Amino acid sequence: MADTNTPPVIVLKQLRKRFGIGDAEHYALDGIDLTIQKGEFIAIMGPSGCGKTTLLNVLGLLDSHIEGDYELDGKSIAYLSANRQARIRSQQIGFVFQSFNLVSRLNVIDNVALPLIYKGMSKLARQKKASTMLKSFHLGEREFYMPNQLSGGQTQRVAIARALVNDPAIILADEPTGNLDSRASHIIMEELSDLHKHGNTIIMVTHNPDLTTYASRVITMLDGQIDTDTMRLALPVKTGAKKPLNVVKKSKAKKKAKK
Amino acid sequence: MKILFANHIHIAQQSIASSRMRSILTMLGVTIGVASITTILALSAGASKIVVDQVDSLGGNIAVIRPGASSEGTLNGIAQLPIGQQYAASSLSDMDVAAIEKMEHVKAVAPLMILGGSVSGVSEGSPHTPILATTPNIEQISELEVSDGQFLDPSLSGSTAVIGPQLSIDLFGTDQSIGKTVTVKGQPFTIIGILKRTNTPINYNTVDFDNAVLIDLEDGRELIQGASQIQQINVQSESVEYLGGIITNINKALLKNHFGQADFTVLSGDEIAQPTSGIFTALAGVSVAIAAISLVVGGVGIMNIMLVSVAERTREIGIRKALGATNGNIIAQFLIESLALSIGGGIAGYILGYILAFTISTFLTFDPLFSWEIAIVAIVVSIVIGTLFGLYPAIRAARKDPISALRQYD
Repeated sequence: MADTNTPPVIVLKQLRKRFGIGDAEHYALDGIDLTIQKGEFIAIMGPSGCGKTTLLNVLGLLDSHIEGDYELDGKSIAYLSANRQARIRSQQIGFVFQSFNLVSRLNVIDNVALPLIYKGMSKLARQKKASTMLKSFHLGEREFYMPNQLSGGQTQRVAIARALVNDPAIILADEPTGNLDSRASHIIMEELSDLHKHGNTIIMVTHNPDLTTYASRVITMLDGQIDTDTMRLALPVKTGAKKPLNVVKKSKAKKKAKK
Repeated sequence: MKILFANHIHIAQQSIASSRMRSILTMLGVTIGVASITTILALSAGASKIVVDQVDSLGGNIAVIRPGASSEGTLNGIAQLPIGQQYAASSLSDMDVAAIEKMEHVKAVAPLMILGGSVSGVSEGSPHTPILATTPNIEQISELEVSDGQFLDPSLSGSTAVIGPQLSIDLFGTDQSIGKTVTVKGQPFTIIGILKRTNTPINYNTVDFDNAVLIDLEDGRELIQGASQIQQINVQSESVEYLGGIITNINKALLKNHFGQADFTVLSGDEIAQPTSGIFTALAGVSVAIAAISLVVGGVGIMNIMLVSVAERTREIGIRKALGATNGNIIAQFLIESLALSIGGGIAGYILGYILAFTISTFLTFDPLFSWEIAIVAIVVSIVIGTLFGLYPAIRAARKDPISALRQYD
């Protein structure tokens, strides 16, 4: 699915993200070089605290206090105003969170319609679009439920529906199945996999190695750096179809180079 | 933009409805402030209107000259408390009266000397009984009527007085007191007439005729050792069209008399009502100041609740920002919510204010006035309060870092 003829969607050059100052200074991201093509399904793995979520936040323009360069669609984000970044979040990026992050006082359809408000759509158009989106996730009859009346899997499907309602080119998912049982997890992964087939770029952070089988590229991170970057040839069809191709052990290669 | 605005209003509705008790209590501060402003403004406007109506009913050919330079605006109204004027020597003199009387097209002139002092008949009168020393022309200019006896007449021998019906009852126990003797500042006066009840304690002569004793100007002078203390000169023109010219002439003549000092004011039409309602303006000013304090307290209440609301909805703010809300969107959302609180409180206050004004007016001789100015004042005050005290919480909400906001536990 990855389209190598068009310019890459995301290019990171020596990306560093610092937390704390002075003695407490600590780089959550410490020199990341990454190029993501349109239509890739990337799974980012790694131990807790290795900087996966921080990377995702940077990619999603939630955190723009970075060193190094981040180009989105060929434009460096360093020059984008806060409002422009908000518009990009609204129009190009869809977020899926581990903790779902639905607004608890809004019902399902209003939650799904939430991103459309900031696109300036009328209420009727919002509701229509959200309703269509919910139907495609087989949640048509749950439109007027409150989030706390849904199961975990349903809630996450609502959250994915919300992430997709804007037709974003890029979907950022931070452990989308982290709070779900394996059955629900696979349903969610099938949904994401479906989106991938439709040409969306998906970047997913996960702890679960089984889920990487859905991805076209698996990146493992360690201590704020990319440890391995594995391309897969074709889209995996079923679970267990692990066929790692050109595995590059970046950090080892670096160490060797240093020696 | 319009859609966003509608949506913000919807969110504000939901948010206020979801914590109804809290919202009502928050609004209460603004409600009390706006209610007191509305009450005061409605009552003082009602009082001014009475005088305006009186002046209008007299045919609009009346001009009034008062001592002191003309004042404009509320602040001067407060500075010019009538109490102060009572002690100040009036700048109007008999010479001025004589000059006006000589002018063309002047139908009648009546100087008013309002004295303080004891008044007693069979029983003692109130120490605040107005003693009005004037000329018979006042009867014509102010359309006073005598219910019994006759009006003042300088040609009558001896000291004579005309008294108001209420004063007659207070002093003698009856409104049939003709021929009886009323003692004014220690001097005996024979009552020759009783005024018809006017029921207008507030009027442009600043004398409650129902409660006053009217004596001849000369007698009045004797009571204060021959000096003249003219507080007001009423001038009636032959008809309305001459009034403008007369006012110009009066200004010229009096300026000459006063060596070029404009220490007097010639008023006509609605202007006459203003200094009369000066005491109301002063009262209104003080009450509005007190109301302003309660509005500030109400505003602080709104700010407090909005800060709580922002803290409670930190996670929601994070979600909205992640989904594409700009800082401006977040500011607008919370600002509209605080505006909804303050405007809601303002509308409730406006209604409550009129209920209060009508309740109070049952003890007064005039009704509160409905006017769009008061409604606008109420709304503008609420909007200002809502914006002023909602802006800081809204900016605080917008400044929240989306990542840490999302991490916050719901």
